[in-house]
Amino acid sequence: MSIHDSGTLSSSSGGERQIVAFSLGQETYGVDIASVREIIPIQKIVPVPRAPDFVEGIINLRGRVIPVLDLRKQFGFEEKKGDPNQRIVLVESGEDSIGVIVDSVSSVMRISEDSVEPPASVVVGNEIEYIQGIAKVGEDLIVLLDLTKIISDAEKRTLREADLRAAVVHE
Amino acid sequence: MADVRDEFQQDLEILLAEVGELLAVTEESLVELEKAPDNADIIQEVFRVMHTIKGGAATLGLQEAVDVSHGMESLLDQIRSGKRRVTTEFMNVLFQAVDWLKEWKAALEERREVPPNAELVEMIGCVAEEADAAGPQASEDPVAWDAAQGGSGSGAAYDGASHATVDLDALPEATAKKLESAIADGKSLVALTVKFRADAALLSVRCFQILTLLDEIVEVVASIPSQEEIEEDKVSSTLVVFVAADDGGRGAMELVATSPDVAEVLAERFQPVVMFDPLEAEMLEKETAGSKGRHGEEPASSGDRLATAAGEIGEGKASLPSDTGAEGTREATKASSKPAGDASRAAASKPSQDAPIPRRSDLGRTVRVDVALLDFLMNMVGELVIDRTRLSQIAAQLMRNPETASVGSEISSLAAHLQRTSSELQEGIMQARLLPVKSIFSKFPRMMRDLSRRCGKEIDFEIQGENTELDRTVLEAIDDPLIHILRNAVDHGIELPEKRVAMGKPRKGRVVLSAVHEENQVVVRVEDDGAGIDAEKVKRSAIKKGLITEEAAQKMSEKDALELIFMPGFSTAEVATEVSGRGVGMDVVRSNLEKVNGQIEVRTKMGEGTTVTLRLPLTLAIMRALLVQCGDQVYAIPTSSVEEVLAMEDVTVGSIQGKPAMNVRGKVVPLVSLEGALRDDPWAGNGHKYALLTRSTDQPLAIGVGGLIGEEEVVVKEMGRMLSRLKGIAGATILAQGDPAVILDVNRVV
Repeated sequence: MSIHDSGTLSSSSGGERQIVAFSLGQETYGVDIASVREIIPIQKIVPVPRAPDFVEGIINLRGRVIPVLDLRKQFGFEEKKGDPNQRIVLVESGEDSIGVIVDSVSSVMRISEDSVEPPASVVVGNEIEYIQGIAKVGEDLIVLLDLTKIISDAEKRTLREADLRAAVVHE
Repeated sequence: MADVRDEFQQDLEILLAEVGELLAVTEESLVELEKAPDNADIIQEVFRVMHTIKGGAATLGLQEAVDVSHGMESLLDQIRSGKRRVTTEFMNVLFQAVDWLKEWKAALEERREVPPNAELVEMIGCVAEEADAAGPQASEDPVAWDAAQGGSGSGAAYDGASHATVDLDALPEATAKKLESAIADGKSLVALTVKFRADAALLSVRCFQILTLLDEIVEVVASIPSQEEIEEDKVSSTLVVFVAADDGGRGAMELVATSPDVAEVLAERFQPVVMFDPLEAEMLEKETAGSKGRHGEEPASSGDRLATAAGEIGEGKASLPSDTGAEGTREATKASSKPAGDASRAAASKPSQDAPIPRRSDLGRTVRVDVALLDFLMNMVGELVIDRTRLSQIAAQLMRNPETASVGSEISSLAAHLQRTSSELQEGIMQARLLPVKSIFSKFPRMMRDLSRRCGKEIDFEIQGENTELDRTVLEAIDDPLIHILRNAVDHGIELPEKRVAMGKPRKGRVVLSAVHEENQVVVRVEDDGAGIDAEKVKRSAIKKGLITEEAAQKMSEKDALELIFMPGFSTAEVATEVSGRGVGMDVVRSNLEKVNGQIEVRTKMGEGTTVTLRLPLTLAIMRALLVQCGDQVYAIPTSSVEEVLAMEDVTVGSIQGKPAMNVRGKVVPLVSLEGALRDDPWAGNGHKYALLTRSTDQPLAIGVGGLIGEEEVVVKEMGRMLSRLKGIAGATILAQGDPAVILDVNRVV
């Protein structure tokens, strides 16, 4: 299974997809509902020393320790702390669950396949590989994100950094 | 947890797990066999293992493994029957077959293509033929099935068994027709081969009785001899009944096993395939003869069960034309002395393509559990512990207020009870994670054999305490280190035989691997009586590699010199040999051990030998940890890695080369700041209240922390792949008040 497949949106009959819509900065994003395990309020996040910058820390979710990423940092937005609307969206990544902080979760919605356009025409830059498409809902544009890919890339980067560090130490 | 998986995949997993265990046993046994070629018990055991693998593989249609295990079986049978002696060449073929099976297992597990076996099978065939040509064959002549083969039927003529996978053409036409039509109807046929005791009287009555009994629970399709023949008293000591049963004939078999005068029952799925295996007949014959075999010791309990069943049936079937009831006691004795059901079930996996995987009948006592489930349970216990702590806190608050004091004290006693319960629960789950060290030790005899041969050394390898239990994660973590240490013992430790003799030592070297439970730890030792480690040589080598200066070497004590072998990039061998030089050094061994909070210690005496000692925690899931304050964070530090906690006010901090250091009982120890170290700036920050002196094998370090919160038993949790490889971070835990905290590995934090 390629990474792209794993993030493919699950489409229901009639050319519809179900997404969880959330906001980050001024924009509205959507992720495939199948990749979301749970949405929880912000809770105490304990920082992990030497973790990469975009890792906010770890939380206790019913006895499990779960790493939490800050999507704002990932996208280069300014940090935002203490907003009661913020949520942690839990996403499965391989055998792990990983939390992603978003500004607020607006709704679960159905969008029609026809309203989705490929990202190439609208977006440029690094984020493009994480964007599956842009959906038009009324006047709004919803950026459909492949969170699973974001996380797996973040994982790879972290592990690579750890290896580099280890190599340096061994010298 | 209930995932719907492909049934085949599930069966395969079970089979492979079983094969893994069996192969481990086999390897050990083969090494033993080499030492004691006449040990019939071992031959029998290995034979049985191969037989079981063959049966299991056949069930799932894994022909490659069937070929190999079948070949092994044949070879072992030649030893067993005295046609062949155990020679090195012979053993090598057997070892190669085991290796192939291991590879085959690994390939299936990793979903790779299974390794080719043609060469191996051919080799086994060649070796087997040699023996065949040399030895007498009389006993292997297939005996044609003869329904009317009559007479008293002594145990020697146990010819029926192998015919369960019967050539339909060889059967009486009427019987064959019945079977064919039943198969055509899609019935799942089982051939029950019933062997009567040699002294059984009224055989035709017994046969009839069994047919009647079976008729009550399954559909009897046909029998040999047929019902008509039985009525005409044309019977032998063997009766084959073909029944339609969905449970593989298990129920039928158990029922028959409890009938009077039955010595042995075999249930096999019946398929009209022509396949005859004289070895099977021979093996079964021997089993039937009831010599000894390890089955005698095994199913004492199932024997009892059978005896009980016999009693029940005896009462229930009063109408049967026999003295079943009266024979109850005799049956009981027989059943326990010769557990027919079990022995035959274990032997039941014949080469018929569909033989069921033999299962031990004492399954009721143990279950296989996914480690993930245990981890999950452990997590839940951790939650309970946290709740309990919260409850105590609430109780304390309530008790402070006179109005709520009585409720408070009630809650408090509840919390105390919860504490007891949860810690017992915790203990139980930890127990469940333990495995005997045998599970990794068992492959070492083979490895040592191969290694010593390759090095031209003669070594007696002994294992002690193989039933000592350890957490499976710890076991996994010491597997590679042990391989390395044992290799070192063979390669660098034990001298060549001539040299040993010249030194007045016994020609054969001795390596002992032992495991023993000591207090809260398991101690695993590798002792050899070899050359020992030459501290001077170690120093010279370290200087040559630029690890230390000449000057430092001169000042070094022998003990410190030995520590050098743990430095990265160190290896005393002038040239890396095939055996121990693989770019992995003792430094890796040590870091592997430290990952599981283990410690390693090397003691050596020139000319007398070396002892490597591993001290391991019983479990990884829970550890005692020191909770320290650092900035506004709380970190957990395994108590096992802290030698001593010093209050800063009691020590004097000086400086060496401009960097802080303190004097601990005459030894100068660098002082770093935890807060700084975690920001990769170890010397930054001061105002520490305490310093933790690390228990480290190389350079002890004093780590300054802002505050000491206390010591707690913490449940170790994984942080997931993303955060799994951060330097100095060992994992995370959840503290009593519910916050997560990072567990630090202080030996790697700087």
